Amino acid sequence: MTEMREPTFLVLTALVDGPRHGYGIIREVAALSDGRVKLLPGTLYAALDRLVAQGLVEHVRDEVADGRMRRYYRLTSAGLQVLTAEIARLRQLAGAAESRLRALNPRHA
Amino acid sequence: MSRLERRYRRLLLCYPRSYRRARADEIVGTLLDLAPPGRTRPTVREAVNLLRQGLRARLGRPASRTVVVWASLASVLCGLITGSLAAHLGWAAARPLPSVQEARAILTDTLPGHPVDRIHRGAALFVIYGQPLSWDNADTLLTLDAGEYEFANTGVVLNGLPPIPHEQTLRVAQDNLRAAGWRLYRVRSDTAVDCAGPPCNPSTLPLDYTLMASRGDNILTLKLIEGSGLDTTYLVAEIERATPWAVHVAAVAGVVLGFLGGWMLFGWASRRTEGRPAVRALASVMFTLVLLLWGVPCFVVPPMLLAHHLGEPHPRWHQLWEWIGLPSFAFIFVVGLLCALLALAIAALPRLPVREARRDAPA
Repeated sequence: MTEMREPTFLVLTALVDGPRHGYGIIREVAALSDGRVKLLPGTLYAALDRLVAQGLVEHVRDEVADGRMRRYYRLTSAGLQVLTAEIARLRQLAGAAESRLRALNPRHA
Repeated sequence: MSRLERRYRRLLLCYPRSYRRARADEIVGTLLDLAPPGRTRPTVREAVNLLRQGLRARLGRPASRTVVVWASLASVLCGLITGSLAAHLGWAAARPLPSVQEARAILTDTLPGHPVDRIHRGAALFVIYGQPLSWDNADTLLTLDAGEYEFANTGVVLNGLPPIPHEQTLRVAQDNLRAAGWRLYRVRSDTAVDCAGPPCNPSTLPLDYTLMASRGDNILTLKLIEGSGLDTTYLVAEIERATPWAVHVAAVAGVVLGFLGGWMLFGWASRRTEGRPAVRALASVMFTLVLLLWGVPCFVVPPMLLAHHLGEPHPRWHQLWEWIGLPSFAFIFVVGLLCALLALAIAALPRLPVREARRDAPA
């Protein structure tokens, strides 16, 4: 799989603690990124289509709340694996960068 | 249904119908959840996003990163071809070629001392071997002679010994044209003969001159030629029509419509072949042939034509179809069209019932 983009990473992360519908994912992504990433519905559903096609996310159930259709998605085990691998990759990169900075200026330690 | 919901649903028309059937309620629900109270119109950002993602959804294959590239290529080629055809149709807005009387009046004023009585007039704005294009000679467009389909003109060809030296004719013509309100372009001069061998001073060689001028929708080309060998032509004066504005409008409309049409057709074929490896492989072979047959002239000709275009004055730009190698490569484009139709026909093949049954079977 190619390198994961930030919105994809955030969508997968938003689904870690349980199934969410589109609106819930958008709110959770905004919260996870401190409001920096505001997904538009068109972008979100394109990302969800892609993640479903890749087997990283699956549709679990539909609900109608206040007359509005809500479709819930959850992370698959493959999605969890990919997310875990991405977190390890980011942690390794962050660690490497941090150690370089520490060597440059010990006060950063 | 609120006014906002109705507008969101209208924007969702960018998505394919099957996608809308399955997902419209869900997407509209999310959009409405996000909309602050009192909003009646989608924001520009939302509209652009839905348009963009809708066009992407038309291609199917949500996990593919390359499908957009292929669709873009196909759409650009379709846009260029339809734009070219539309530009040609736009020439219907041009006036007919100047009449013999009109041309004679212009040339008599421009070229005093030259016998410009025997004026010829093209049979139409475009001719192939001097004849207007018709069903009788349309087959020539599918041969190596397709490039003979060209602009016609009203003008004169003079043979024999020039009664006035070329340099003097050129100077007088420039003065007369300028006085009559024509816009003059840089005179092009080429050596009429090549050096036979050393010693050779190119500045002593006789020169051919080409002068171009435009006024209104007339373009005058005057060629002063040093006769050599059996060809005794010494002067050619031709009046053609300038490109009417309708050609530009038609070309832009044709390019846009062709691009969108190409995108829709590619998207339809892409969705139809999704999950059908054999059909997809066959359609891909045809699609590759289309890209090669249409793409090579469309990407090879423009740099060459641009070099020519920049090298000499052009009162009238080369037409869009010339930039993609038409009509010279018309045969190649027709073969490409057949491949494209074949690819669409392959994509239109019905899904096998066995596979349908297997797909619908409970896990």
